Amino acid sequence: MTYVRLSKANVEIPVYDSHSLRLIKLPSFRRSKVGTQTITRAGGVMRMHALKDLDLDLAEGDRVCIIGHNGAGKTTLLRLIAQIYSATSGVVDISGRVFALLGASLTLNPDATGYENISLVAAIQDWPAECVPDYVRNIEEFTELGEYLSLPTRVYSAGMLMRLAVALATLRAPDILLIDEGIGAGDADFQRKMQARVQQFVGRAKILLLASHSRELCRALCNKALLLSKGRAVYFGGVEEGFAEYGKLSH
Amino acid sequence: MPAAQRLSLFLRKSFMWAWLDTICQYRRSRIGPFWETINVTVMIAGLTLVSSAVFGGNLIGHMGYIGAGVIAWSAISALITEGPSIFVRYGSLITNTNIDVDVYVGRTVFKIMITFAHHLIIYAVAVACLIVPFGWNSLLALPGIALVFANGYWLATVLAFVCARFRDVELIVRNLLQLAFFVTPVFWDYTQVAADRRFIVDYNVLFHFLEIIRAPLLGEVPAARNYAVVAAVTVVGSVLAFVVRRRMRRELAYFV
Repeated sequence: MTYVRLSKANVEIPVYDSHSLRLIKLPSFRRSKVGTQTITRAGGVMRMHALKDLDLDLAEGDRVCIIGHNGAGKTTLLRLIAQIYSATSGVVDISGRVFALLGASLTLNPDATGYENISLVAAIQDWPAECVPDYVRNIEEFTELGEYLSLPTRVYSAGMLMRLAVALATLRAPDILLIDEGIGAGDADFQRKMQARVQQFVGRAKILLLASHSRELCRALCNKALLLSKGRAVYFGGVEEGFAEYGKLSH
Repeated sequence: MPAAQRLSLFLRKSFMWAWLDTICQYRRSRIGPFWETINVTVMIAGLTLVSSAVFGGNLIGHMGYIGAGVIAWSAISALITEGPSIFVRYGSLITNTNIDVDVYVGRTVFKIMITFAHHLIIYAVAVACLIVPFGWNSLLALPGIALVFANGYWLATVLAFVCARFRDVELIVRNLLQLAFFVTPVFWDYTQVAADRRFIVDYNVLFHFLEIIRAPLLGEVPAARNYAVVAAVTVVGSVLAFVVRRRMRRELAYFV
């Protein structure tokens, strides 16, 4: 059973400035004045209320695009589900293997070649060693990086790093796949390949969460939309309606 | 998954990563980690020269003692200096992927271990030149090295968490390490310390860690007391690391 259940989930992110990252603190004479809806200061540490009372219930087959303005809490939500962040209050109940692709790069050592990074990611993600040759062939085919895979990933362009990252993320069809915006920024040819690949993955009834600003990408990959505004969920439903609501929000 | 299997998987991942990093280091410069071995060699030569001039006595004897001491110290000091920057260095991976954070620590400890293995060539040369004896006692260095690195793991965990949260602690640690080098008998002979001042050696935890590697390298058996202190520190340190990890793991992504 794969599911994502959030109930009244709140995430408050402590904002550590150069002052609060010290153990031995000298008195500071300059205190920034903050005290808004989203940012509070308690005990010397600023806290940013990034997600507020969020309820979400996703089951197998749900492909959700998360939309909203910059700073609405899209990435925070993905990090919460990836268990990189933990909820300050509320319930977070997740069942299934999660793969988070939040940065466009998944290279563990930029001096190592593409092939070497693939083997290392395979080991770290506990992929069975006997399947690695198949995976490598699959990645070669999907990324079309050719001989670049034998070069250090340091020399890759942003688009090439992304191809490699997407290939790795969708290789073994995790139960829950989290993709952050920027991933859809590849060229048209790659976008088509990526859509086909993600659709194939979603065909196996898993959960996808995609934070994106691209309407076309969301339309192609998702069947639901979650609209966030200032950390709150303001709409959850169909993709078209979601974008319509998003449009109203902007005006 | 049984704990033993999880542990072996964890060790495998960490080692693979450290190994790949070492290979890349060799690609960037042909002698790779041997640069650090050269450092250690120069350090041994300099300290031997000064110490034999100040304390007198036979140069070869000094060379063996200081050589074994500096090699053992290089492991201890690398673990203490690299621990604090682990999570800060992998900050972008910590906030963007759900890789188990212990792997970053494991990678670093194995990387230091691989570099340390390079330094053992100095020891091999010393054995070949008959500067230090080689016998059954020498094999006791292996459990000594294992114990130092096992303790390095908990220490690196504690330092990585604490120094990610409190960035100034790293500077404090570096300063204390410098002091520790002088107060720990690396380049001076602890047997020459006056009996009423022996406490400066006996109460120095690092001395006991140094001894469990150095004594076997010099063909001697470490004192039971050395092992007793190391065992006690291993237990206390592991509990400390467990507590720190439990308290700070949840918030780690916020401070890196």
